[in-house]
Formats: sequence, C-alpha cells, structure tokens
Amino acid sequence: MRLDFSPQEETFRREAATWLEGQLSGPFADLRTGRAHDISAPERRKEWERALGRARWSAIGWPEEYGGRNATLAEQVIFAEEYARARAPGRLGHLGIELCGPTILALGTEAQKRRFLPKMSAGEEYWCQGYSEPNAGSDLSNVRTRARLEKGPNGPEWVIEGQKTWTSLAQFADWCFLVTRTEEGSTGARGLSYLLVPMHQKGVTIRPIRQMTGEAEFNETFFDGARTAAENVVGAPGEGWKVAMATLSFERGASTLAQQMGFRNQLDAIIGAAKDNGAARDPLIRQRLAEAYAGLKIMRASSLRMLTSAQSGKLSPEAFTYKIFWATWHRKLGELAMDVLGPAGELGTAAPYELQELTKMFLFSRADTIYAGTNQVQRNIIAERALGLPKEPRGGA
Amino acid sequence: MDFTFTEEQQMMAGAFRELLDDLCSPEALRAAAEKRGDESGARWARIAELGLPGVLAPEAAGGMGLGDTDFVLIAEEAGRAALPEPLVEQAGIAVPLLAGLAPHAPRAAEILAQAASGALRVAVGAPGNPFVLGAAQAGVLLLADGDEVHLVERAGVGLVAQPSIDTLRALARVEWQPSAATRLVSGAAGRTAWARAFERGALYAAAQCLGLTQRMIDIAVAYACERTQFGRPIGSYQAIKHHLATVQVKLEFARAHVYAAAARVVDADQRAAAAVSSAKLAAGDAAELAARTGIQVHGAMGYSWEVDLHFYMKRAWALIGSWGDRSFHMRRVQSLVLGGSLPLGSDQTFVRS
Ligand SMILES: Cc1cc2nc3c(=O)[nH]c(=O)nc-3n(C[C@H](O)[C@H](O)[C@H](O)COP(=O)(O)OP(=O)(O)OC[C@H]3O[C@@H](n4cnc5c(N)ncnc54)[C@H](O)[C@@H]3O)c2cc1C
Repeated sequence: MRLDFSPQEETFRREAATWLEGQLSGPFADLRTGRAHDISAPERRKEWERALGRARWSAIGWPEEYGGRNATLAEQVIFAEEYARARAPGRLGHLGIELCGPTILALGTEAQKRRFLPKMSAGEEYWCQGYSEPNAGSDLSNVRTRARLEKGPNGPEWVIEGQKTWTSLAQFADWCFLVTRTEEGSTGARGLSYLLVPMHQKGVTIRPIRQMTGEAEFNETFFDGARTAAENVVGAPGEGWKVAMATLSFERGASTLAQQMGFRNQLDAIIGAAKDNGAARDPLIRQRLAEAYAGLKIMRASSLRMLTSAQSGKLSPEAFTYKIFWATWHRKLGELAMDVLGPAGELGTAAPYELQELTKMFLFSRADTIYAGTNQVQRNIIAERALGLPKEPRGGA
Repeated sequence: MDFTFTEEQQMMAGAFRELLDDLCSPEALRAAAEKRGDESGARWARIAELGLPGVLAPEAAGGMGLGDTDFVLIAEEAGRAALPEPLVEQAGIAVPLLAGLAPHAPRAAEILAQAASGALRVAVGAPGNPFVLGAAQAGVLLLADGDEVHLVERAGVGLVAQPSIDTLRALARVEWQPSAATRLVSGAAGRTAWARAFERGALYAAAQCLGLTQRMIDIAVAYACERTQFGRPIGSYQAIKHHLATVQVKLEFARAHVYAAAARVVDADQRAAAAVSSAKLAAGDAAELAARTGIQVHGAMGYSWEVDLHFYMKRAWALIGSWGDRSFHMRRVQSLVLGGSLPLGSDQTFVRS
C-alpha cells in the first residue's frame, strides 16, 4: 500500500496543471466556472471539448490510437484532481467519454472502436443515454422500445419504435446508446440489445422536459422508425442487458474522483459563505461543515481503494456502496448550503429563474439520490447481492 | 386544560380549505408562477369575502376578534395550498401589529379597519427579514428603522424585485427614507411591537410548514399508489412505505408543538419564545423531510417542473429560512434552556400554574 505519488507522477501533475492553467486563464477563461451542470453556451463547451481532444486530455485512460494517453490509474486520479482544482467546466461529452466509450472499449468490435472512439475523444461527436422509459425507471428491464432488422439501402438496418425519457443532453447529442428490445415477445432482461443510434434523423424527435431548476437538461426522446446500421450493436443481439449493466459499472470509475474534487470546490464555497455571513460561528453549522469534510475524505479513500482493487479485476464490495454514499452525502451538502445561506438562500439572481450558485447546487443535489440507481434500489442491491438477504417479492414472481 | 379545537375553529378552517381547493388548483398555481405572484387580485377578493384578513382584528374594527389558536389553522391551510397571496403576513402579522399600536398611534387606528377587511393590503418589513413579501401589491408598508415602526405609502418607497426560489412569492427589497411623519412608534413600544410581530411571523411560518408537509405527503402517497415498477405499486415496497410513514410521524409531533406555541404566543414571554422557536424547528424539519421524501418517491418525475410537488417544496424551503432560520431558532432554544432564564424543572415542564 502506497498513498503518495511518485516523482514521475508529480511531473505528470505539473504538465496537466500547466496546460489547464494556460487554457483557462487564456482562450477559455469564460468557462472557468467549475460548474458541473451548465447547459448555457453549448457551442463554447464543445470548443472546450475539442481543445481537450486536440491536446489528448479528453480521455487519458484510453489507448493512444483512440485519442487517449494510456494513462495509469494514478495519472487519471491526478488529472481529475487538477481538472477540478483549475475550476474547469463540467464535461459536455461525459456521457460518451465516461459511459459509452468505456463500454465500447471493453465490449465493442474493433471496427466500432475505430469508428466511434476517436470522434468521441476529439469532441466531434456527442452522446446521450437512452435507458429510461416512462414505465422503465428502476425496473429498467421493463423496456418496451423495440427494434427489428430490415433491409436498408446499404445493407440491413435496425428500425426502432418507442419512447425514452429523462434523456440528459439529448439536445446536444449526435448519437444515443440505446437499450431496446430486439426479440419479439421477450420480457425482462432477456431479448434486449444495446444499439448505437444516430440522433440526427427523421425518426428521432426530442421534447425538452423542464426541471425544477427551471432548466431543461433532460428530454423525452421519441423513436418513430428511426434507423441504425445492423453492425451498430454492442455485444451480441439479445445480450444487451449485460452490456447495459457494464456501462453502469463505469459510472463508478475514475470520474468519481473528478466529481469529488468538484464537491470539494462546493464545500469551499459553502465555508466561504459561512465565514462571510457569520454562520460559521454557529456550532451546529461548524459541526456539519466538519462532517462534510470528513465525508469527502472517506469518499476519496474509498474510491482509491475501489479503483485499485478493480484494477486487479475483482469488483469489491465497496463498489456496491459507493453510489448511495456520495449521493446521500451530496444531498446533505445541499441542505447545509441552504442552512448556511439562511434567509438569503431562497433568493434568485434574476427573473425568471436565474439562481445563485449554491441555491442551484442545492436544487441539483435533489436528483443525486435518484439517477444512476435510486437509494432504495442501491439498498436492495446491497442487501440482496452483497449481504445475501432473501429477495423482497417483486412483480409476478 | 383542553388541547382540542372547537367546532367553530374547525369549521372556519374547513371553509377556507374548500375555497383554496378551488382557488389554488395546480393550474392556478402554474398560471400565478408564470406571472411571479398574484396580479389579478381576484383571489385576494374571494379570501377577503370570508373575512379572513380580520381574524385577529378586534370586533370594533370590523374584525372577528379571535386569537392565535383560531388563526393557526388558517395559516396551516394557506400553507397546504401554497397560497400565492400573503394572507398569513397580512392577517397574522400586520393586522395584530396595527391593532397593538392603534391605542398609541392614530394612523395605525385609522387604517386598521381597512386592513382587517382586506380592502387595504399591508406588507411587513420586520427586522431580521431582509426582504418584504407582497410589497408591490400593497397599499402601505409597515417598516422597521431600528426599534421604530413606520407606516409608509407604497408610492413613497422604491422596490427592487428579488426573485425567489419559490416563483409564487413576490419579494422585494425596499428603498425608503424614514421620517417623523412616517413614524408610528419608537423606543420600547416599537421594540415590543416588532418582537411580537416576529414571534407571530415565526409561528405562522411553522403553521404553514405543517400544511405544506401534509400536502407533500398526500401527493407522494397518491403517486406511490399509482406508479408501478417491477409489476407492483411502488407504495407496496417497504422502503417507500417506511419513508412516508416516518414523515407522517414527524408531522404529527410537529403539529402538537405548533398548536401549543399558538396557545402561548400571546403571553409574549420567554416560555412563549421557546415554544415558538421549537415549533418552528420541528415544523421546518418535518417540511424538509417531506420534501426530500416526496421527491425521492417520485423518482425523476419529482425533479421535474411538470409535477405539482415542486411548488410546495419550494415554499417550504423558502419558509424554513424566513422569520428566523434554523440556526437562529436553535440558538434561541439553546440560550433559553442553558442561559438560566427559562424556568426549568418538572414542575415547569408539565404543569402551568
Ligand atoms: C437529473 C436526472 C438525469 C437523468 N438522466 C438520464 C439519462 O440521461 N438517461 C436515462 O436513461 N435516464 C436518465 N435519468 C433517469 C433515471 O435513470 C431514473 O430516474 C431512475 O432510474 C429512477 O427511475 P424513475 O425515475 O422512473 O423512478 P421509479 O423507478 O418510478 O421510482 C420511484 C420510487 O420508487 C422506488 N422504487 C422503485 N422500485 C423499488 C423497489 N423494488 N423497492 C423499493 N423502492 C423502489 C424508487 O427508489 C423511487 O423512490 C435521469 C434522472 C434524473 C433525475
């Protein structure tokens, strides 16, 4: 066990920090917000993604041939830290880079890797995640969207019918990774396939859904005779459930460290606000600030432990517990921010619904215990899969 | 000793509830949110017809001459409906403030009847609240300058609108100049008046939180019965049931606390202050838990603008920070309990001679 970084790793850190500083005090100074969720100025955000891509900072863990640097885990940790320290903006390309890309790397064909990964890491193509449907949320295997193979002008194509919902960033996406039923009459986890579907076509319509933050980051996505080439399926047709689950496990990857650094910035902002308005004199607030700090330290240690043991190929038990921990911690951080702000917490900055940074963070953090597996579903998984408790009756079973 | 509400008290609250079910439908709230608060005045007129602005005004001024244990149920209903108009602030704070000042300040006496009938809208800028609710729609404002209470015409102040997280709350920062002509009272009389107004503000914010909590539970329960996942209503899963049951327990205990504070607030002593603060904490915590649980039960739906839940959540979050935030009330309870000024001991806690 070794917790410190080697001299070479520190050299890598300086290289990353220097590049980030140069960009964010230079051509991209306007994006130096550190904000995770921000759908304003999408074109500028795409320019940023392309700049990352050109300098090979976009997906450093990937092989060089796909635009990465073959970075070690330690280097990925370091880059995540420096990225957040530099208050670089949230990644518009994250659904591709962090979810779909690693899935294609792990389970895709050579041709798929060559076709999709370089454009992803270069910031030339953006992705969205087509899992949830109106009747398939926690019960993802209840997917009804279906696809069948048909002859197309350039060979066989999947033709897709159905509706997805809560599709984040679909309005900026060129492609969607879609869980769909490809075996007629199948139910549950069987007969699903993981398709890669182009968004810019007649058969795809999106309708924005307004969030309680006032913004519309997510959408309803309708597939009405949408098409994609037969080879755009990751894994075997009918085996999509396994692929979809693999994608979710990447949600616990090195990006958790970047997320933690973002949290650290938020905690610092709350501490700053508490010192400014005197809330920091309140012993209860002080205690909660200290607890929040301890929680961050716990998360960091746990993810380093989780990531290094994942390198050795085992999915360790703490991997099951990570999502519920960070989500619950961050939801509480949002409440702490509001308590620190006191009467000023309810204030926006401009009509109709521009909110101050910490209030916005509070609202965003209301969703953390819902997406990527609700707290209840996480607890069921921990209880039934990690602890081996008897299953609660669900459905017809 | 009788910790129950009379039939009249319940009837008045019931009539108000029926009216609000009609006036504050989700569609009506959506329309009001788009306009940021009320502008038509139609809802206000219907509420005034019931005489509610004057619940706490003396009968001589055309009011009902009732007390805080009557109005507490009205405030609870206003919360349950997320009523956009500041009825609670007018009837629960401004009117008793004016009634208390009337014997010393002729201008307060002059407008009391109009305030009690609702014909004149009165907004309150109490010390400790940086913003004034409903200032733009008011005819006059009661404003603080130190201990002094001032009565100012709407036309005589500048307003800077402050958007709230709750789009149904029309808040403003008020720019104004105090003068001898605007002053109603100063010194100890002003201090006492503001102190009483503050206690009522906190009490009725707590009462609104009770109503909001119940509304959020009701919405979540209905959704949990209707939404199915894994082939069953999500409300059949213990995880969901237990969460909702926990909020209801928290609410019932907060309720008793708030009603007790309503019975005590008139005493305006330390025991009343302690009761109000702990009621505000309990009701605020219940509302916060109801919001957290409500959104969780709804899944992603709860995070959208399209379900009604967010109106009630946002009102609750706004009220938790107003009329003394959590830190303020906790500190007050701490210093009353530990500071030696609050009579303690079993004889004090359980019996009141
Ligand atoms: C901000 C945000 C962004 C999102 N982005 C995307 C995206 O890009 N792509 C995408 O596909 N999806 C996305 N989602 C959707 C997300 O994956 C779903 O919200 C999530 O899977 C939960 O599903 P649901 O919302 O339908 O809630 P439901 O599944 O309807 O759950 C409602 C409640 O019931 C509980 N529940 C359900 N089943 C059980 C059970 N068996 N036992 C106990 N309790 C249970 C849940 O925990 C929850 O409390 C996003 C959601 C949010 C909030």
